[in-house]
Formats: sequence, structure tokens, C-alpha cells
Amino acid sequence: MRHMPMIFRQVRRSYKQAGLFVLCVALSLTTLTAFSGFARSVGLALLKDARTLHAADIIVRSYDPISDPLAQAIRRLADQGRIVRANVHEFYSVVRAPDEKASVLSRLKVVEPGYPFYGQVTLKTGRSFKQVLAPRSCIVEQTLLDRLGLKVGDRLQVGYTTLTIDDVVTAEPDRPLDLFAFGPRVFIHSSDLEALGLMATGSRIRRVVLLKVTDPLQVDAIAAQLKQASSFEGEGIDTYLTAGSVVKRFLDNFLFFLKLVGLFILIISGLGIQSTLTALLNEKQRTIAVMKTVGATGRFITTHFMLMVFVLGAVGTGVGILAGAVVQGGLAWMMTPFLPERLDLALSWTGVAEAVLLGFAVVTLFSFLPLYRLREMRPMVIFNRLPSAGTARWPYYLSSLLVLLFFLALVLLHMRDIRFGIYFVGAITALTLAAALLAQLALWMMKRLPVRSLVLRQAIKGLFRRGNATRAIMITLTVSLAVIFGDHLIEKNLNATFVQSFPADSPNAFFLDIQPDQTQAFSAAIGHAVQFYPIVRARITSVNGETIDRSREGRKRRDNLSRVFNLTYREALLDDETLLDGDTLFRKDWTEPQVSIMDTVVEMQHMKIGDRISFKIQGVPLTARISSIRTRDNQSLSPFFYFVFPDSVLKQAPHTLFAAVKVSPGQMGPLQTSIVSRFPNISVIDMSQTIGILARLMVRLSRIVRVFSLFSIAAGILILVSAVFATRAERMVESVYYKILGAGRRFVLSVFALENMLVGLLSSTLALAMAQTGAFWVCTVKFNIGYRPFLSVSLLMLAATVALTVTVGMAASRSILAKKPVTYLREQQNE
Amino acid sequence: MALLEARNLIKTYTVDHRAITVLENVSLSAEKGDFIVIAGSSGSGKTTLLTLLSGLDHPTSGQVFIDDREITHASEEDLAPLRNRIIGFVFQSFHLVPSMTARENIMFPAELMGDQDADGRAGQLLARVGLSARADNLPSQLSGGEKQRIALCRALINRPKLLFADEPTGNLDSENGKMVLDQLIDLKNEHGATLVLVTHNPEIARVADRVISLKDGHLSG
Repeated sequence: MRHMPMIFRQVRRSYKQAGLFVLCVALSLTTLTAFSGFARSVGLALLKDARTLHAADIIVRSYDPISDPLAQAIRRLADQGRIVRANVHEFYSVVRAPDEKASVLSRLKVVEPGYPFYGQVTLKTGRSFKQVLAPRSCIVEQTLLDRLGLKVGDRLQVGYTTLTIDDVVTAEPDRPLDLFAFGPRVFIHSSDLEALGLMATGSRIRRVVLLKVTDPLQVDAIAAQLKQASSFEGEGIDTYLTAGSVVKRFLDNFLFFLKLVGLFILIISGLGIQSTLTALLNEKQRTIAVMKTVGATGRFITTHFMLMVFVLGAVGTGVGILAGAVVQGGLAWMMTPFLPERLDLALSWTGVAEAVLLGFAVVTLFSFLPLYRLREMRPMVIFNRLPSAGTARWPYYLSSLLVLLFFLALVLLHMRDIRFGIYFVGAITALTLAAALLAQLALWMMKRLPVRSLVLRQAIKGLFRRGNATRAIMITLTVSLAVIFGDHLIEKNLNATFVQSFPADSPNAFFLDIQPDQTQAFSAAIGHAVQFYPIVRARITSVNGETIDRSREGRKRRDNLSRVFNLTYREALLDDETLLDGDTLFRKDWTEPQVSIMDTVVEMQHMKIGDRISFKIQGVPLTARISSIRTRDNQSLSPFFYFVFPDSVLKQAPHTLFAAVKVSPGQMGPLQTSIVSRFPNISVIDMSQTIGILARLMVRLSRIVRVFSLFSIAAGILILVSAVFATRAERMVESVYYKILGAGRRFVLSVFALENMLVGLLSSTLALAMAQTGAFWVCTVKFNIGYRPFLSVSLLMLAATVALTVTVGMAASRSILAKKPVTYLREQQNE
Repeated sequence: MALLEARNLIKTYTVDHRAITVLENVSLSAEKGDFIVIAGSSGSGKTTLLTLLSGLDHPTSGQVFIDDREITHASEEDLAPLRNRIIGFVFQSFHLVPSMTARENIMFPAELMGDQDADGRAGQLLARVGLSARADNLPSQLSGGEKQRIALCRALINRPKLLFADEPTGNLDSENGKMVLDQLIDLKNEHGATLVLVTHNPEIARVADRVISLKDGHLSG
């Protein structure tokens, strides 16, 4: 028998269900294909332009002066003519207008001639950067001119010197994105570095040596040679191919998160595939029954419908790939500020092949159960509308297990992080199980609820209609909504804690790089006594003798032990600190150096009292024993330190001081200008402004995540629509019988609307309960901030979900509601 | 005026741009308490006539009056109270709501009307047809005869003036068919209702007050 013509006829007759199936397959692929393709495009763009993005072949980075052996190795290679080098120093400093009336925190970049080796620094005038940047001059960003009311040709006070603004920079190769840029860029010639007077010991200066290798084939060899020469762990040596950038790290992390969203959508859409296929096959029940009665084997029927599924699956995959390309473009548009300029988003054959394979796997996996059930279908049960006998449970369990394994495999493939993958799959499984349990409980209670109202009673009965996928719809909607609600609640709480309700008594101006001999004059300038916090910059080399694996630590997606830490010393707890472990900050009975650590350090790596941490402080090793573990009330924005030492241990180490002051908003500008004009080495950070920038960034990213989370809602809606289609016959019977028995249109509408409302209300209430619990846990335990349930916002989200469910449910039931009793009765007679 | 009156009913369907007349110029009337059988062979138009008389369908031309009200072109909304209070239906395929128990199916029309004693009346009717023990069963758990007796109770719960029955014994064996028919006639008499019954069974026709025979859409005999 030729299957295909029959399949096309069947699809044409059930075009709505077939269309839904195609949409579900497409939806399952769209986001993941888009995110993977986007990640690949970004990766390629970063790789293709890697030389330009780093402006060099080899990049040496350090927050401390380059160690002697490394500096000698670089000098030797330069002398041999094998490399050309350019030193770059990057740091923050407040620059001022010549009249000292206005100032702005800026990102200074002091560069040696030769910079950049690759790419161009583009100037507004179109002139060559290398020719314009001369001693005693600077090149600035337009925003600096705007904020200080200056123009090209004016003078600019930077540190202890004054420079002439020669041009305006519009683009620089190795800083392509303004991700967390808190101030405008200022380029300064390296010959002015000393005159700036900002290189005091302990200041946070990023030192970069850019190297251009004469023989391009020698890049790796020279990098390896330099790594060998480097004796200091704080020195990073990378080639343009291995060097990670802030941008890459940010995009990796963000796309990692988006891929999680994509995987989640894939699973939800998979449930949609299952549900829509059930609806499609329900519609074909009589055909199947007839086929069976005339002798078609289960194998023939399964093959026939499997073919249909794969034809539709192929169409869905095609639509998914195209939609993925569109979504990829949309994502690129939403992320414009964070992306490299030349991003080629074309679909790759690898991407298409991956999507096709994924589509095949998704369709096969989620079609298994409905197709298997075809074998169990008995003609008499269908013809006589008898209740179907209980079906075997093992296909259901097998299908669930396969879905779980598939999901785990996908997560591991995309995340490349086994532990995280297992956590993620575990969390989603737990979330789904919790939603299933709660949905079951809610439905159990609904069934037993004594209801007087006839409309409500019929609506509740509708939830338990034969073939109604109420539980599946509720689980899908609950899980999707819990994620979306939870994300929104966390964002609202973070915003409320750090942005809106900036604590009134919290300091809002942070002063960095104060030299020890400036404390008295600084306090006088502020006008009252100021608390100074000593800062000693250091790295951790080992814990309990176990060396820190920096590359492994660096790969962690959270704070880790590979970075530079600010140590401090004092003998008492701060007001917002309490001891979690240990009786006193430091032990009197220990003679060796001690350190008190913050509980967040324990989250980076398990440590306990008595453990030993080894630090390297500007080349000098120091091992200290953990005397106590502290925690703090994070709701205040006062300064805090992970590692606190007794005075005796650290006081002699080279250090700068840090101060945090509460300044009234109108005084921030004048105070900043006055402090910096007296102490040019001091940097001032306006925390309110900084938090504003972070908040805007957070809102932007959160919006992107929310937009994509909406795809999972779309999957939930498709399931809802497919459930209406799957139970079309039953709904039709109810609608017609109600009408024959004298119910008006309003009654029928009310029953159906109420039924959809119950689905929406139960799902969103469960989702909200789970979201509130989850968000509460994340905020109080993980972020250590207070929690507000945002009840009005929650109710709004709930109402929106209910409205959406009712609208979609009613729209899908339109033809059922419009059916005239006589038409239905005639159809019944004709069957 | 008669309780039910039909004047010159014509019903035409269009199939493939071709008009097919299934009823032509049919007129009839029924008084309170009448038992009228509409008989005819398959395809004679008897079920079509029943749907027109009961307001389930509109005639192409002609008029239908029930209880002094013309329902010929009444909307579904206008017909709803009529179906609920004045008319009761019994169908060959029972048409019980599958998600409701036997008792709930019976109560439903009364509840729609806002009857506070729906449960009590359903109980009485169940007892009357000997199905009290099956009150909480779903239709899928009942036999054909039981289903039709439940449908009968449902049709009568609001004490309708008019009962329309379309081949009520058509899906039943002879024993169950007889039991259902006896109960139908008994209950009709107890309630003083008018019964219009469609059948091709001459046995049933024999017990009716009046038989209207249809042949190819025309009244005959």
C-alpha cells in the first residue's frame, strides 16, 4: 500500500492538529538552534578577529609589576628582534576640568608607541592615532568632553599633571565593548606615566605587555618560553587565540544561561509534541479502528503513522531552523551593545545538520508513547465509545527514562560541565516532579470539593474529561511559569535591595588608593572623622598545601580563588559582621599568623578553622591559619573583606587605604572634584551611579532571558490548544448536550471559560508558590539579602496568566461552541 | 391553539449545488396528552421532521408553534428556555453526558432551571425506573437499557409539556426496548405530557393515539 497519498489526505483533513505538531517541533528547535548558532557565530567572530581584539600576538597581563625574570626574557627577545613590544597600563582615575569645577571617573589607558599592533584606534578627525597621541597630550571619549563641558584643544587635569585634549576616540580594537565601563576612556602617552603620579604602590593598575611576534609561526613557542620564564603566578601569558576576554567570558556565561533556557524550552515543547500527536491520533481513531477491522496489523498502522510523524517532523525541523535563524538575528539585535562589531550570523551547515539530528531525536523520543499506544487501540472500544481498558505502564516509564537520559545528554553536550549538567537536570526534574505532585494534589482536592454552583461543578468535571491532558498542561504551565515568575521576583528583589532602597545610612562614595600619609589631610577635606580600611593586594597560592589550580578555578562560573584579593587587617569585627564559627576573631593561643575568612570564601572552596591558606603578597609568601569564619548582613553596602588579618601580620606590608563615606547627592560632584584636585592619586566611585549602571545592565539581560522564557509559555499554550483539540469530540458532546437540555450559550461559554480559568489559576498559583519559595531561597540563602514577596506584582502575573489561558482556551474552543446541536446529531446519525 | 402545530413544513438541503427536498409541505398538530408516532422507512424524513418540530433545526419554509409561540426561526438563545422547561428529548443514542453520573445527568436540566429540589426529584425518577442503585454510575458503566431509562428520567425531570423521542428503542434488544417503551408511556401519562415519537417499528405505532406516516418526505395515509 502506498502510504504517502493517504498521509497527505489525513494531514489535510486534520490540518489544525498537524499544524500544532509542526509548531511544537519547530518551537523545540528554535531557541536551542538559535542560541547554539549564535554562540558559534560569536565564537568564530572572536576567533577570526582575535588578533585585532587583543591588538597583539601575545598578551602578558599582571596587576603587579612584571617580575624580573619575565621582564628580562621579554627584553632578550626584543633585543634579538623576535618580538616588538608595547607596554600598556590601565586604571581608573578621576580627571578634572582645568578650573577644578568638574570631574569624572575615567578609564585611563597609558600606551607606548607601537600600540596597537593589530586593528585601529579610530579618531573622530580620521587622523592616525599613532601620529596624534604625543607626550603631553591625550585622546578622550566624547562623553568626557560632554560631562566636563570641554572641547578638543582644552586642557585636562589627570593625576598630578595637565594634558591637552588632542582628539576624540570613537573605537579601539582591544576594548570593543562597553560592558561594565564606568567611565569614559582617556588615552595617554607612556612618557607621561610618571608625571601622572598615580603609580603608587598598591594601586590597582592593570599592566599589559603587548607583543608582536616577527615570525607568526613562532607565536606559540615564544609564549611557552615566556611562561617558563615567569616566576610569578599573578602573571598571565596568552596568545591571541588562548586569551579570554571579558567579553568572551561574559558572552560564554550569558549564552550558557540562555542555552539552559533553550534546553528547558526543548523539553516543554517535547511535551507539546506528545500532546499534539495524541490529539492528531485521537482524530484518526475511527480510521485506525476501520483499518484494524479490515486486517491492518499493528505494525502496518504504527509504520503508517510513524511516517506521518516524520513527514510533519521534517517540516517542523525546517520551520525550526528558519525560525532559529530569525531568533538568532533578534538575539543579536537585543545584545548589540555586548557584541563584536563584525558578527556574521549566517546559518552554518554544521548548525543545520545539528538541528536536523536534534529534530529527529526530539520527534522520535516524544512520539514514542502516542505511537506505541496505537498498537493497544481496540476497534470496538472506539466504535462503541467504550472506556479504554487500562494500558501498560512500562512504555510510560520507559519513555520518561529516555527523555531524562536524552535531556541529560543534551545538557552535558551543551554545557560541557558534568557536575553542573547533573545539577541542572536534577533541578529541572525536581521542579517538574514538584509541579506534578502539586498538580496532582490540586486536582485531587478539586475533585472532592463540594461545589453548589452548577457552572463551576461542570467546569471542574471538565478538568477530568476523558482524554483531557489537564495534569500535563498544568505541569507544563506550572514549570514554565515558576521559572518566569521566579526570575522576575529575584530581579525585583535585587533591584529593590541594591537600587531602589539604597540604604539611607549606607556610604555612597568609595575612595580608593589613599596613601597612608594622606589620612589626616583626607579626613580634614571630608570634614569629619573617616574610617580607613587598609588594603593589601594578594593572591592565594595554596590551601592546606594544595596548590590552587588557576585554570580550573578560572573556569568556574562564580567567584573563585584564582583572582587577586584585597586583604585587610584589624582587631575587631565590623558592625555588620558576626562570627559564624570560632569564638573570637583571632586566637590568643596561636602564635603563627592567623586569618579570619568570610563565609563566601568557604563557598568557593571548603575550608574550616585550623586550615592554612598561603598568600603571595607582592611576591612575598605568607601562610596563615584560619582562626574564625565571619558572615555579614549584605543588605548594607558598607565595605567588606574576605580575608582579615591581625595588625601584627599585615601592618608592615605595602598597602593603600580605602574609605567609604556617606555624601548627600548634591554634594557628590563638588566633593569628588575637591578631593581629586587635592589628592590626584585618589579615585572616587559614586556608588549610586555605579549601581544604576549595573541595574540597567541587569534589566537588559533579564529582559532577554524573559523574552526567551516566553517561548516556554508558548509551548504551554500549544499544549493547551492541543488538549482542546484532543478532547474536541468530548467537548462537542458536552456543548451540544447542554444546548439540547436547555442551556443557553452563556452557560456553555461560562463552563468552558471557567474550566480554562481553573487550569490557568491552578497552574499560576502553584507556579507562584514555587517561584516565591525558590526566589526566597535564592535571595536569603544565596544572595544573602532580605526578601519581599511583591504581592501586587505576583497577583498581576497570576491575573495575566489566567487571562491568557482563558483567551487561548476559548479561542481554540470557538468552533466547538458554535456547533449547532442538529448538525452534531446529524453527523452522529451519518456515522 | 394546539400545543404543537406545524404548518406546511418544507426542508431542503443543498448537496454539491443540488437541492434535495427531504420534507415537503408537512403539516400536523398535537394536543395536550397526545401520543403521536411518526413512522416511515429509513430516509423518509421522519427524524428531520422531529428536529423541525422540536426546534433543533429550522425549516426552509413553513411555521412551527409550540405552546402558542412560533419557534420557526427562533435563535438558539430563545430556544434554550423552551428546551429546558417545555420540551424533553429522548434519543436513540441516549446522548448522556459521559462525565456525569446517572443522577447528575437527570438533575442537570432541573439545575439549569435553578430547581432547589433537583436531587430529590432525580431520586424519585430513578426509583420510578428502578435504577436507584445505579445512581452514582457513569454512563459508561450502564447497559443500553439502563442508559435509555436514565435519558427518560432526564427528559421528564422538568415536567415538560412535550416529549420528543427519536427511535428510543432503536439501540435496544426487544426485552429492554419493551421495558423502556412501557416506562416512557407510563411516565408520559403520569406527567400528562404530549409524546411525539419517531420509529419505524410497527409494534410501537400500534399503541399510539395517532400515526403520521412519511414517505419520501411526504405525509402518506
